[in-house]
Amino acid sequence: MNQMNNTLNGIFSWDFISAGIRVTTPVLLAALGALVADLAGTPNIALEGIMLFSAFVGVITSAFTGSLFIAFIAGILTGAVMAAILAYFSLKLKTDIIMAAIAINIFSSGGTIFALSVLTGDKGSSASLKSYVFPSVTIPIIDKIPVLGDILSGHHIITYIAFIMIFVVHYILYKTPLGLRIRSVGESPKAAKSVGISVMKTQFTALIISGVLASLGGLFLSMGYVSWFAKDMTAGRGFIALAAQALGGSSAYGVALGSVLFGFSEAASYSLQFMNIPYEITQSIPFLITVAALAFYAWKKINYIKKIKNNIRK
Amino acid sequence: MKKTFLIFLVFMIGFTAFSSLKVALLLNGTLGDKSFFDSAARGVEMAEKELGIEAKIIEMGYNPSEWYPTVDDISYMGEYDLIIVGTWQMVDIIAELAPLYPETDYVIFDTEMDYGKENLDNVYSIVYKQNEGSFLAGALAALVSESSEFKYSKHDKNIIGFLGGMDIPVINDFLVGYIQGAQYIDPKIKVAVSYVGAWNDPAKGKEFTLSMYRNGADTVFAVAGETGNGVLDAAKDTDNWAIGVDSDMQLLYAEKDMNIVNHTLTSMLKNVDYSILRAIKLYTENKLPLGTTESLGLKERAVGLADNKYFRSILMNADPEVLIKLKDLELDIIRGDIEVNTAGGMSNDELNRIRNSVRP
Repeated sequence: MNQMNNTLNGIFSWDFISAGIRVTTPVLLAALGALVADLAGTPNIALEGIMLFSAFVGVITSAFTGSLFIAFIAGILTGAVMAAILAYFSLKLKTDIIMAAIAINIFSSGGTIFALSVLTGDKGSSASLKSYVFPSVTIPIIDKIPVLGDILSGHHIITYIAFIMIFVVHYILYKTPLGLRIRSVGESPKAAKSVGISVMKTQFTALIISGVLASLGGLFLSMGYVSWFAKDMTAGRGFIALAAQALGGSSAYGVALGSVLFGFSEAASYSLQFMNIPYEITQSIPFLITVAALAFYAWKKINYIKKIKNNIRK
Repeated sequence: MKKTFLIFLVFMIGFTAFSSLKVALLLNGTLGDKSFFDSAARGVEMAEKELGIEAKIIEMGYNPSEWYPTVDDISYMGEYDLIIVGTWQMVDIIAELAPLYPETDYVIFDTEMDYGKENLDNVYSIVYKQNEGSFLAGALAALVSESSEFKYSKHDKNIIGFLGGMDIPVINDFLVGYIQGAQYIDPKIKVAVSYVGAWNDPAKGKEFTLSMYRNGADTVFAVAGETGNGVLDAAKDTDNWAIGVDSDMQLLYAEKDMNIVNHTLTSMLKNVDYSILRAIKLYTENKLPLGTTESLGLKERAVGLADNKYFRSILMNADPEVLIKLKDLELDIIRGDIEVNTAGGMSNDELNRIRNSVRP
């Protein structure tokens, strides 16, 4: 019983909430990227590779220039350039976008190690390189408020950017002409073309936005979560983001909810380790919840379609 | 012209006839891991220098589908007398190929062949008594955790931690030794045990460790490859202790971040290099016991705690007694006065019993 209490304390503590937020951050950013690309009709499964490469470039740039600002810009540019390469191959050269994305993922895994070994002589991690991390932010006044301060203040700067991005992405998608174009191109490219929208230009833009969002997630991993780059350190987060995006459907808020659900169930699985449960089970909790949520979402959607069909029949 | 060619030919024949021993090290990964594979390569290079053998190091990469054909090709060429491979992932490949090439001899490190099943008279296995080194790591963790002299210790809690990469026999061998070592110092100590389930996810390793520190642990032993480096970062962020593994983490991080070095007590090393040098040396003397497994431990210096200046200064500044106690324990193990348990051949129930008995 005492053990149970300890674990429950572990789960319902502010530390747990900040752990959940940390786990959510990279997935959320990549999932928002997945959303923008998906709505434009160009599903971007290269998020994993883009994150990894940005994580790498950020660390290397900060080590060689000593400037966090330049590292930040370089990381984001990497995301944009890799997304542009994906867009060029799939839109201009008409390669299958899934194939091109797989190629980018494999290239990133090998390419980062290759570049790392050329630059530092190491092939495992950049542990010997003196690189820098982005700071955490303490919000004045709010951090003095007991509970709220713990939840809102003291997080990593990219975490704040990630949560702001939820609203930015929502605004872009649903309140700007660009967002309207992205959605219409994704819905029906032919119809969009008939009213004079350049399909290619719009999809190009959407992919680059998604690349930039994913690159922020990558920078968080190597310059916030930990302070070095390690080979394949994204460890599947880019793919989990795709699941989180599928969970959230076409709304930025839904996608955020999906990412948060995943992040917190993952954090809970860490705390549950200390209860008398085999670790294989605690480790599958985040995925079980994801599958359950997807099933729930599909069930709701089917009901919704049925309802519409019934209404039409009437 | 004809003469030159003839001389060249004679020279070539002479060269092949009197050429030295040829050794190939086939790594199922790449160099630069600052750990296992680098250490193995170092061993071969030492042998090259000290024994005058000829060696070739081949990096087969991390793609398992390329390992079998590479080992097959190199064996088929017949150019190398001795082929060295490592890790449990190579066991099945060697079990299949070694009987096909009886002229070639093989060394496999950090795992052992099943000699009962097949005709493997040309394979020598090296296993490491990681349990012995881990015993010292566990004793150190317990001593530090319960002492009020060490600044990051929560000495009233009596909880230490263990972060494993996966729930597999090799990792559990570390665990069993670690628990026994800790209990040798304090029979009532608690050990929080977690397995991350990944070798390449330092962020997740860090999160697991933070959770252990939150639950009262103050010293965590990281046995999880690249994932384990997250432990060091967690120790730095929350002012706790970490113990590294495989390579000397303190030397590795010394250039980058002294904060990490000062939160790391030491690292438990597997000295793959010395064991490979030893094997090659025995092979040149025709004394290598092919067809058997040898387990090398503290006695052969194949495992042990990294003894560097940072480790010494942390201990000397806090409590020199700890250092003396560790040396005593090391000698006790070498002499056989303390017998360290191993997870090899241990049933799952037995392992669970041990894990549950120390659960915080």
